[in-house]
Amino acid sequence: MMKRATNLLPILIACLTAAIFSRCVTEDDFDNTPSGNFEALWHLLDEHYCFFQEKADTYGLDWNTVHEKYRQFLTPSMTGEQLFEVCARMIRELRDGHVNLTSSFNVARYWDWFEQYPSNFSDSLLRKYLGTSYMLSAGMKYRILEDNIGYIYCGSFDQNIGSGNLNAIFTKLAICDGLIIDVRNNDGGLLSSAQSLAGCFTNQEITAGYMAHKTGPAHNAISSLKPVKLKPAEGMRWQKRAVVLTNRSTFSAANAFAMYARACPKVILMGAKSGGGAGMPFHAELPNGWSLRFSACPMYDSNKQSAEEGIEPDIAVNMTAEDLIVGRDNIIETARAYLRQ
Amino acid sequence: MHIGKTIPHSEFRIMRVVRTVSVVCLAIALIPVGTRAQEAGDPTLLRSHASLFGVGYHNLLDTYLSPLEYTGTEVRILREHARLTHLMNDRVAYQNTLQGHIAYCKSPTDDAKTISGMVDWTFAWRYQWQPSESLTLQAGPAIGTHLGFAYNTRNGNNPAQARIAVDAGLSAAASYRFQCLGKSFTARYQADLPLVGAMFSPNYTQSYYEIFSLGNYDHNICATHLFQAFNISQMLSLDMPLGNHTIRLGYLCNIRQSHVNHLKSHDWSHAFMLGYVKQFQLIKPNRKQP
Repeated sequence: MMKRATNLLPILIACLTAAIFSRCVTEDDFDNTPSGNFEALWHLLDEHYCFFQEKADTYGLDWNTVHEKYRQFLTPSMTGEQLFEVCARMIRELRDGHVNLTSSFNVARYWDWFEQYPSNFSDSLLRKYLGTSYMLSAGMKYRILEDNIGYIYCGSFDQNIGSGNLNAIFTKLAICDGLIIDVRNNDGGLLSSAQSLAGCFTNQEITAGYMAHKTGPAHNAISSLKPVKLKPAEGMRWQKRAVVLTNRSTFSAANAFAMYARACPKVILMGAKSGGGAGMPFHAELPNGWSLRFSACPMYDSNKQSAEEGIEPDIAVNMTAEDLIVGRDNIIETARAYLRQ
Repeated sequence: MHIGKTIPHSEFRIMRVVRTVSVVCLAIALIPVGTRAQEAGDPTLLRSHASLFGVGYHNLLDTYLSPLEYTGTEVRILREHARLTHLMNDRVAYQNTLQGHIAYCKSPTDDAKTISGMVDWTFAWRYQWQPSESLTLQAGPAIGTHLGFAYNTRNGNNPAQARIAVDAGLSAAASYRFQCLGKSFTARYQADLPLVGAMFSPNYTQSYYEIFSLGNYDHNICATHLFQAFNISQMLSLDMPLGNHTIRLGYLCNIRQSHVNHLKSHDWSHAFMLGYVKQFQLIKPNRKQP
């Protein structure tokens, strides 16, 4: 028996070695050439981007046609900038603000979702309303306006918003008759911060939206929708009416905040339709080192409707050129009037 | 064992001697030097502890983080405890190996970095054969637990990947003792091959926010087998005497791979190891009172 085992040992080693080489787990390689990088970009999006089905339904996007359309512009001797231009044009076909290609010299982007619309926001007017004595916590600027309306300007969710921050803010604003949460020009950040802030407007756990993810490379391989439960904040919670101000530059996590807040009682949205960006972005990279960002996990509102194209306000209000001339933010003033009623 | 047959007394004595020699040879194979004092004792009381440190090459792929292979350097420590057990007439060797590594890898264009680390804890029980006085063969079952991470410095919502796995498989070893320049050396090869197991994995583009903040689980514990998670750990080592000590030189090839939930990953390590081996014998307290 021992002799047999001795004889089997080299065979065993040979089998294991052969198995190593036959069972290597590797990814398809694309060359670091214009063609290789282009194909890598197209395939990465083809297999990972989450809104193909929705974009096809909305405006007839055909990703295979896009491939053929832009592949003809490739030449082996093209420069990096020329290749970047072709790639940038290709990803613009997705019409998604979360899809970016980043090189050392440029960022390919699609910003039509706010550039083609009125801004409905003015930095100068914001400064006028906030003054200089506003308070600041976790990136949120807040004060009490003259008519006893609380005003919070949240320009980003990049910072982590903790219960201590929220308790401090809502303790200060507790005496107010109503509250304005201004998320105009908020381009997103941490979803958890958006959830924390929205949690101050509900006294019970509610389904504020839904989330999914891709389960495979196929365009329609999307998981079932899982509810996003909004838990009530543990500390101070707002019990009076509140208005969330949005514009087309309310994007990504801020768009999610608007979605969550709308599911809360006593909260309405006012201003312009939000910018969307309801696909949590992931990162990948091309063989030449360019970084790719793309939507990977779609989010839906509490009615299971996609929030990718933005959320319509309950009360649509726009700013006009006259408002800017007279130094009046029409959206804030309309919200104040609504809360004073 | 012969059943229904009377064994002559002389043959029985020879068998006992052969068995004793085999056990001692196994102990010698496991514990290359410094065991002469224990030859007359219980071989299961012999212990071998090896501590190794290594540096090597690391190749990392995790398509959850990037489609590109990252390569770099790893440092590794390994602690191995070995002893004979009383199982199957003192013929089963038990080995407990705890090893950890941390690797720093760069993308092909050096635009991004990935830091990965893992702790592997394996237990093996190997039946041993003694084909000749200098050669010892062992084979048996093994179980392992693996806990680690990979962190990409460039990514946003998919910056890291957790590596959690348990598995069960086979472990085999061969050690060969030889003399050179009047000194005793032991060459040893060991391979651990997990056959089945389970591992954690996000489901394709599922975010960690969904899993841990929202509690949305979706096939995150995946059963694994040889054909979609081919893993193998191999080590070739040479124990050599240096003064009163035993030094171990080794080459470790650690292949960990998986292809679950449409996500591919591999960690290929090739490390040169250096360390020392410590042998000692436990002393059983004499329970008989004088």
